[in-house]
Amino acid sequence: MSPRDGSSPGETGPRHRHPSDHEALAFRDGVEMEERELAAGEEPAPSAPPGARRISWQKWTFMPAFLVVALLLTWLWFRGARLDSIAHQAVDNGKVWLALQQHIQLTAISTFFVLIIAIPLGIALTRGKLSRATPVAMAFANLGQAVPALGLLVLLVIWLGIGARSAIVGMVIYAVLPVLANTIAGLRGIDPTLTEAARGIGMSASGVLTKVELPLAVPLILAGVRTALVLNVGTATLATFGGGGGLGDLISAGIVTQRMPVLILGSVLTVALALLVEWLASLAELLLRPRGLEVGE
Amino acid sequence: MSFWEYVGTRHAQLLTDTYQHASAVFQCMVLATLLGVFIGVATYRSEWAGNLATTSTATILTIPSLALIGLLIPIVGLGVPPTVIALTLYGLLPVVRNCIVGLRGVDPALVDAARGIGMSRGAQLFRVELPLAWPPILTGIRVATQMLMGIAAIAAFASGPGLGNEIFRGIASLGSANSLNQVLSGTLGIAILALLFDAAYVLIGRLTISRGIRA
Repeated sequence: MSPRDGSSPGETGPRHRHPSDHEALAFRDGVEMEERELAAGEEPAPSAPPGARRISWQKWTFMPAFLVVALLLTWLWFRGARLDSIAHQAVDNGKVWLALQQHIQLTAISTFFVLIIAIPLGIALTRGKLSRATPVAMAFANLGQAVPALGLLVLLVIWLGIGARSAIVGMVIYAVLPVLANTIAGLRGIDPTLTEAARGIGMSASGVLTKVELPLAVPLILAGVRTALVLNVGTATLATFGGGGGLGDLISAGIVTQRMPVLILGSVLTVALALLVEWLASLAELLLRPRGLEVGE
Repeated sequence: MSFWEYVGTRHAQLLTDTYQHASAVFQCMVLATLLGVFIGVATYRSEWAGNLATTSTATILTIPSLALIGLLIPIVGLGVPPTVIALTLYGLLPVVRNCIVGLRGVDPALVDAARGIGMSRGAQLFRVELPLAWPPILTGIRVATQMLMGIAAIAAFASGPGLGNEIFRGIASLGSANSLNQVLSGTLGIAILALLFDAAYVLIGRLTISRGIRA
């Protein structure tokens, strides 16, 4: 890629805090050199100047306001919609609430396992002899990404039986790669002079890892966490096909029984949950970023 | 019945499904590429418009595919329409994003030189900027295609075409002797298609990336 000049700092600055930034990271996973270069061109974006904060403040409040209005409208419409006995069966007795709870549980549990698997694995794969295995592991993982989530989930259901457990296993397998790739990219992208300096002042290997490398890799790891969360909210809708519950129950019931109110309610709730999770995750990303990285480079 | 016996007896059905899956993904991807490059070209010069295009396409990508299809069914009905709309929408983001990044990354000195030798705005775009931005755009298309392969499987639930039907037939007969074969053939079929498309993109990259910027 050609060097960026002139206008580029202003252009990349505000974009850095953009809620959509993790997608770019996600897109880097499956590809080779050309995109790595693209990624490298984008990464050293300086953090936003104080002015950009005010702009993003409005952006932060837009999403919750939009969600509240959308949910309110859906609720009002749903109350007015005429439901027959089949539709009632799909939504009565707190089934909507239960589906929502199941969905959140599926997402939370699978994300938890993704984190405790992917981050230590990412650290291990950048250390010592194991780092030579990284390209092989990543190539293998990328090959695995070609398997569709739906097929993987259903195969696991056939293998492990119907229920939430198979769904969670499938979601974890599916979301490990983005977090792993981000962790490795984050640890690899650290300026070697910084780790050398840390060694030079007498830090142990574990000291360098916990006091220098991990804090510097936090932004990329957090971006990976957000990717995993958003992916998992989506994959959790497929849990319904293996009896795992979640909001997919409402959507599939709506499609199978041709009851549009049920279908729309389930879909709107799923969309709202996905957008809310993404919003919360980007908020967390902003708040958890180490202070030392806030000042421009 | 073993898996290979299953594939042997059902190969006609499987080939039809595979062909339909590939053709749906391919056609939607062509549509998404044209739309995405158009959006990218229209917005990359303005910071505000470019960010808006990336944010809105990113928001679409955040929406779970089953939910988006669920919202489309009341509007356009079951079958091919929701599949095509959903696939095209999901295919947009990687193309739009990489197109904007690629076009913004073009060295302004080169564009300036093109203008200097008397190229019109259109010629600058088509003969200088887009060829230089093509490698990242092609990467976006690759990433999007792999994603669409999986989403197309889910669209089969809304009576869409393709190998997803094989998987859903397996779900419907869960516990029967053939359900594993059905799910496995659908899943493996999609995985193989995804890898074949990926290989095709490598080839397309070889053929279409301007010789001047090839590594």
